[in-house]
Amino acid sequence: MDAEIVEALRAGDEAAFAMLVAQYGASMLRVAQMYVRTRAVAEEVVQDAWLGVLRGIGSFEGRSSLKTWIFRILTNTAKTRGERESRSVPFSALEGVDDEAAVEPERFQSEGRWAGHWAAPPSPWTDIPENRLLSTETREVVARAIAALPPAQATVITMRDVEGFDSEDVCNVLGITETNQRVLLHRARSKVRRALEDYLGDH
Amino acid sequence: MKLARDLTCKELVELVTEYLEGGLTAAERERFEEHLGFCDWCVTYLDQMRQTLVAVGSLREDDVSPAMEASLLATFRGWKAR
Amino acid sequence: MIAYKLLEPGRVAPFSRVVWPEPGEWLEAESVDPCRSGIHACRALQLPPWLALGDLWEVELEDVVVDERKVVARRGRLVRRVDEWDPAAQRAFGVTCGDVTARRAERSPELQVFADDIATAPPAPVCGYMAARAAELQDGSAGYDAERRRQGEWLVEALRLVR
Repeated sequence: MDAEIVEALRAGDEAAFAMLVAQYGASMLRVAQMYVRTRAVAEEVVQDAWLGVLRGIGSFEGRSSLKTWIFRILTNTAKTRGERESRSVPFSALEGVDDEAAVEPERFQSEGRWAGHWAAPPSPWTDIPENRLLSTETREVVARAIAALPPAQATVITMRDVEGFDSEDVCNVLGITETNQRVLLHRARSKVRRALEDYLGDH
Repeated sequence: MKLARDLTCKELVELVTEYLEGGLTAAERERFEEHLGFCDWCVTYLDQMRQTLVAVGSLREDDVSPAMEASLLATFRGWKAR
Repeated sequence: MIAYKLLEPGRVAPFSRVVWPEPGEWLEAESVDPCRSGIHACRALQLPPWLALGDLWEVELEDVVVDERKVVARRGRLVRRVDEWDPAAQRAFGVTCGDVTARRAERSPELQVFADDIATAPPAPVCGYMAARAAELQDGSAGYDAERRRQGEWLVEALRLVR
């Protein structure tokens, strides 16, 4: 499949290009926004990235998947642009300052025979109808929670859980190890769950 | 040998991502699941995590704006004509 | 053979997330790899550690591949939900756990706090866990296993389960 599309692109086939844009364009825009300040700049980054794809398609060797290659170009473009705007955080900084736990320690018993077990346990969300979980308001809470994450965590959860990349793709595109990716994903998901818990608990 | 019943809730919540990713060893997964067998609260927590993933996934919109699509096509035609 | 399974509301298997068909309809496993795939269930006496996972169901299994600490088979169908495992039965289960723990505390006073915890009437699975933990403190792993076995026998008797 990849080989066919690559051939078509090299031959200047507009339909092939349109198909790739339809497939990846929206994802690329969301990932670009992890690195730069505004949507407008993110759109420019995506434009530049596609130009980079077209310029490089002649020498694409197929050592990685087309998708991985496209997104690597995107993140490199976004990083460069982001650095210029001092917005992006280099991924070497992902051994983060935060050593935070998935759930605040106070919610567990700190001593006694049930030390480590819940002191303030979570309440089921089963009463929440599915349409409430997916309502515009709830999605805004989730989007805000992701936007408030440290950049590396935001990027990983966006790529994995919003965009549906698998973990191998994310590691290849971002140039991080599986372990790093897991840690970032864990912290990100834990924080978003917490944000949802706070929101759903109050309403 | 660490027993399933020695796994505390505090430890379990740190393993949830690993569990959902399929990254736990068979022995660790057994401990994790046995803990869930007696602990409704951790069952609830895991369920909340699953629902969180559903909510996060719902952010995905699959279409590029028409304006963006148009300008990308222009980019393509410019490149093709070089 | 007849065995038992805990399912979340909607007949959702707690770990695999598979939705079981309505009672009577067979569910086939694509492959059988204990702990990973195949139809998993347990004998009545093996139920106590799993009670938090949902509603209790009776299942009929065919082509049983594993029958030790749990049962794994190639196909199974739900027979009925065991509605006798209702709030009253669950409270009664908790009470017996409290009683045996209080008796253990007569021998070992430091276990009285466990009996007190159970007396606050947490959910049945938690009572079972606390009682087993207390037994373990008193008599080690053998104590833990014995208490879990006692709980299993209680369930068989009270809910008229198939052994």
